[in-house]
Amino acid sequence: MKLSLSFFVVGIMLMLLQTTFLHLLPLGPVVPDLILVLCVYWGLYHPTVGAALGSFLLGYSVDVVSSPILGLNAFAMSLVFLAVYLSSRSIWLHHPVVSSIVVLLASLVKGAALILVWTVFLSVDGFWTGAIRYILLEALVAAVLAPVVFALLRRGQAYLEQIRVTA
Amino acid sequence: MFAFLRKNQILLSSCFCLLLSLYILTAAARGQLRNDPIGPLLLWVMRPLQIAAQATTNWIDEIQNSYSMLAGYKSENEKLRNRIQQLEVERNQLLEAQATNRRLQELLEFRSHLPSGTVTASIIANSGSSWFKSCLLDKGSADGVRKGMAVVTPLGVVGQVVAVTARTAKVLLLADPNNGVDVLVQRTRVRGIVSGSLDNGTILKYVKRSEDIQEGDRLVTSGFDGVFPKGIVVGTVIKVRKQTLGLFQHVEVMPAVSLARTEEVLIVKADGN
Repeated sequence: MKLSLSFFVVGIMLMLLQTTFLHLLPLGPVVPDLILVLCVYWGLYHPTVGAALGSFLLGYSVDVVSSPILGLNAFAMSLVFLAVYLSSRSIWLHHPVVSSIVVLLASLVKGAALILVWTVFLSVDGFWTGAIRYILLEALVAAVLAPVVFALLRRGQAYLEQIRVTA
Repeated sequence: MFAFLRKNQILLSSCFCLLLSLYILTAAARGQLRNDPIGPLLLWVMRPLQIAAQATTNWIDEIQNSYSMLAGYKSENEKLRNRIQQLEVERNQLLEAQATNRRLQELLEFRSHLPSGTVTASIIANSGSSWFKSCLLDKGSADGVRKGMAVVTPLGVVGQVVAVTARTAKVLLLADPNNGVDVLVQRTRVRGIVSGSLDNGTILKYVKRSEDIQEGDRLVTSGFDGVFPKGIVVGTVIKVRKQTLGLFQHVEVMPAVSLARTEEVLIVKADGN
């Protein structure tokens, strides 16, 4: 529980980064989706009920802060967590390249979910061309950042577990 | 039942979240979501954090902008430096052109006092041997230059043409030991021969012990040798030594023309012949 809470705090911090500092990066209109990377990490290394709720809540936070419609990112992040959790049973994942690939695929899943929800609830003309470009760019950026974020999260998790064992 | 729930709690909670988000989506899209309890709470928690993070980001952005500006100044500075260098080169070229123009004007003016058939030439090479004092000019027989012609500048005598090709002329300088110019001491009209020497530089030869000659006296061409027109400055006496024995005085001369500072010369036919 303590670990899940800590992770949620980390998630909030990542969202803060995502909504502020990461806009300074010279990536054009693309903002690296660290929340997605965290949800993938949860799905792979920390699959708990707390993590499932965390994914939903973080997605919901993104909706609250920046989405035109509530539930859009909450749905996408929950779906990503579920997809990664289900596939993590058959993925042997320890290499940074594999983690990048998983994040890339997860990002594509998220993109597909967003497109689906968007077209159902928010149909906009000319949405497709821009959306596909954004999805691909976002997926690439997230995949590039994934090994670093994973390494940091793993280190943090190990540190917290060590504290718990010592206590 | 509990065992099933416990076993699939993650899967079930995920599905619950998915369904919940779909419900929220649908409700929000239909405008039915009036009382959202989580959103305001989240915003209430996040607002101060968001403000702090944004302030930090703005601060970093400002630093980044300042740095970019500095980098811009650096690049502009570099451009300006290059421009200055370019202008320096241009200025140098202009100064050089101005100096050449001045020299050529002086040459032209001087040329008007010389016999007709005078040829203007540029020095294109200096002596390749320390034993001989000579230079090479860019004009030759095709330009009317002949062996034995005098080479002068507005400052004075340079030497004498000793060899000519169609496009070049070799000049034996005044300071060469094999050269000799018939001169007069301007003040006393005493005659002598100015020639080079390997040990004492340029000297005035054959001046009797009894003749009046002093340091600082100017020497000019006498015109008697049939090579140099009369009255052209040859040099200045810098040292006079009367030896105990012998007929002549030892007179050292500073040539009026320094080859190191000469670029253009006039090739003159003596007496206009």
